[in-house]
Amino acid sequence: MTIVEMNHVSKTFGTVHAVDDVTLSIEKGELFGLLGPNGAGKTTAIRCMLDIFKPDSGTISILGGAMSEDKKDRIGYMPEERGLYQDITLERCLTYLGSLKGLKPAQVRENARQYLEYFDLADHGSRKVKELSKGMQQKAQVISTLLHQPDLLIVDEPFAGLDPVNTRLVKDLLREQHEKGVTIILCSHQMNMVEELCERILLVDHGKAVLYGRLDEIRKKFSGNAVTVQTSANLPSLPGVEKVEAVNGSMKLTLASGITPQEILQRLVNADVPMDGFNISTPTLDEIFVNVVRGGRKTA
Amino acid sequence: MNKTWLVGIHEYKRHVFNRRFAFGLLSVPFFILVLIGLIFLIISMENRTRAIGYIDHSGLLTDPLPAPAVEPPDKPVEFLAYPDWESAEAAMVADEVQAVYIIPEDYLSSGTLELRYLVPIKSPARGQFYDFLEVNLLAGYDPALVERVNNGSEIIIRTLDGSKEVSSESGFLGIIVPLFSAFGFIIAMFTTGGYLVNAVVEEKENRTMEVVLTSVSPNQFMAGKILADIFIGLTQILLWLVFIIIGIRVASNYFELLQSIRIDPQLIVLCLVILLPTFVMVSAIMALIGATVGEAREGQQLTGLLSLPIWIPYMLIGLILENPNSTLSVVLSMVPMTSSLTMLIRQGATTIPAWQIAASSLILVLCAAGAIWLAGKAFRLGMLRYGKRISFREIIGPRGEVTP
Repeated sequence: MTIVEMNHVSKTFGTVHAVDDVTLSIEKGELFGLLGPNGAGKTTAIRCMLDIFKPDSGTISILGGAMSEDKKDRIGYMPEERGLYQDITLERCLTYLGSLKGLKPAQVRENARQYLEYFDLADHGSRKVKELSKGMQQKAQVISTLLHQPDLLIVDEPFAGLDPVNTRLVKDLLREQHEKGVTIILCSHQMNMVEELCERILLVDHGKAVLYGRLDEIRKKFSGNAVTVQTSANLPSLPGVEKVEAVNGSMKLTLASGITPQEILQRLVNADVPMDGFNISTPTLDEIFVNVVRGGRKTA
Repeated sequence: MNKTWLVGIHEYKRHVFNRRFAFGLLSVPFFILVLIGLIFLIISMENRTRAIGYIDHSGLLTDPLPAPAVEPPDKPVEFLAYPDWESAEAAMVADEVQAVYIIPEDYLSSGTLELRYLVPIKSPARGQFYDFLEVNLLAGYDPALVERVNNGSEIIIRTLDGSKEVSSESGFLGIIVPLFSAFGFIIAMFTTGGYLVNAVVEEKENRTMEVVLTSVSPNQFMAGKILADIFIGLTQILLWLVFIIIGIRVASNYFELLQSIRIDPQLIVLCLVILLPTFVMVSAIMALIGATVGEAREGQQLTGLLSLPIWIPYMLIGLILENPNSTLSVVLSMVPMTSSLTMLIRQGATTIPAWQIAASSLILVLCAAGAIWLAGKAFRLGMLRYGKRISFREIIGPRGEVTP
């Protein structure tokens, strides 16, 4: 079942194309990564999804149709720029935000209690939000997003401002929600997190979708023609290898066009090169991100 | 529960159960108490209780009756008789008396008194001497006649249809009560309106609005805030009323005049059909300001500007009271921002024709609806515009462009 579907959605502000003909589809239970450099149009795309902004063109379907007030109760949204009422207690703030999602006060209190304990904030419920540290407020924001047990969770930079321990807590929580079948859209600049958690991604730049699909397929597509060989011996000159360079204790061999890794492996074996490891070199998401964005800017 | 009410209740609790609200609430009765205290202080400073001397050549005060009792805050002054000017002057120089009245032989026919003093005598002491003289002039007359003369006359002016009557003794209360009602209402309206502007700007500044708007619609959010604003204002007015009623009850034990305070039924009608829609209209305008401006300070400046036309009738109070049914008075009664104060000033001085109340109320209701519509548009346009203001042209335009 498709949870979010955007078809050729565009949104312009004056002369700026914040979202330019973006199409995507997110299935139920998916953990989807939405990536892009600053000002790429990620937040505008999310605001269009949430019906905060009306798109200029294109159609959006969320939870099986157009956005409605009832559907808002099934969505949890954590914006990049956090927002909690500062001059009231944490418990009161969570009770209010939970009740706006259709929960009864007793339900909110029970759910809040569980999450406050999970995040080690149980002793801070009666403190005013403004008295909490930045990290604590960040965790409180995560709690407010999850309180009503949403079907669709949209989290924008959920790890920003968290220490490693709390980053792990949030990461585990997202995994747990994913296992429960909650559909998650994760916006983040932290590529390692996206690599670790997401199955599919959409990379936007200048409002346009520049990469979209399964993460493993994208990495394969960007793997290029290179292999890494772990060996203690000096590599002989091999036909079909254009460049050899040492990378992190291994040798990275860039292959000539039309040469496959299997042919190189065969040639290494034939040359009696002792090998501790042989891998097809795949770029990290970070490298792909930088390459695509930089490439896009060069052509722009 | 409807989300509009949830927003409203949250807003209400957030502001009412707050130290700032308590200060605002208590500041008005405190101010009134200080004002009353100052009046008492001034009166008591006017009161020189040093005795007043008199030399009676007329024989009217040969065996004088005592002076009538005085009401607080006045203090009684003693009256001392002297046989001649030399002894009276010596007493005055010795500061035993503050002044000396000389009652001539032909006083009954001339009605002229001579007053001699070193420092001018204050009016309360002078008044007490006249009362003393009056009591003695009327000695021997029928007690009912004496009482009538002492009490003076009370003229009651009544309209031809009998719908309104004003007493010469307590008539000024008929003007003061509606006027103070209007002041209290306007102060409450702008105090709570200020909270509303600050709350909206704050929610924009700290990004809470984006979170809340994924749970409620902009219209529900705005309606909740306006409802809360009105109820906060009504709470404030109600609590002030309680203070005032208690104050009047206590004070009327000392000031008989206060017992004659009556609330005209037309005043209640005006509160419902003029003040209430004005409150809704101003609340919507406050929400509009909050959604439009980029920062709290800018909101406060605009709120200040908005409050100026409300006070125009106060500046023209003399003209309105002098001729409460003039064209100027009627026009001010129809203009939305000036109608509330004008109507209440006029109410104390005349019977406002029903058609004028109905027309003014209708105009206010229409303006309140228009302000809510505009505020709704401004909310959608400006809710996520952080640190930037939106122009009026954008709000009234056919399709406002939202920028993040």
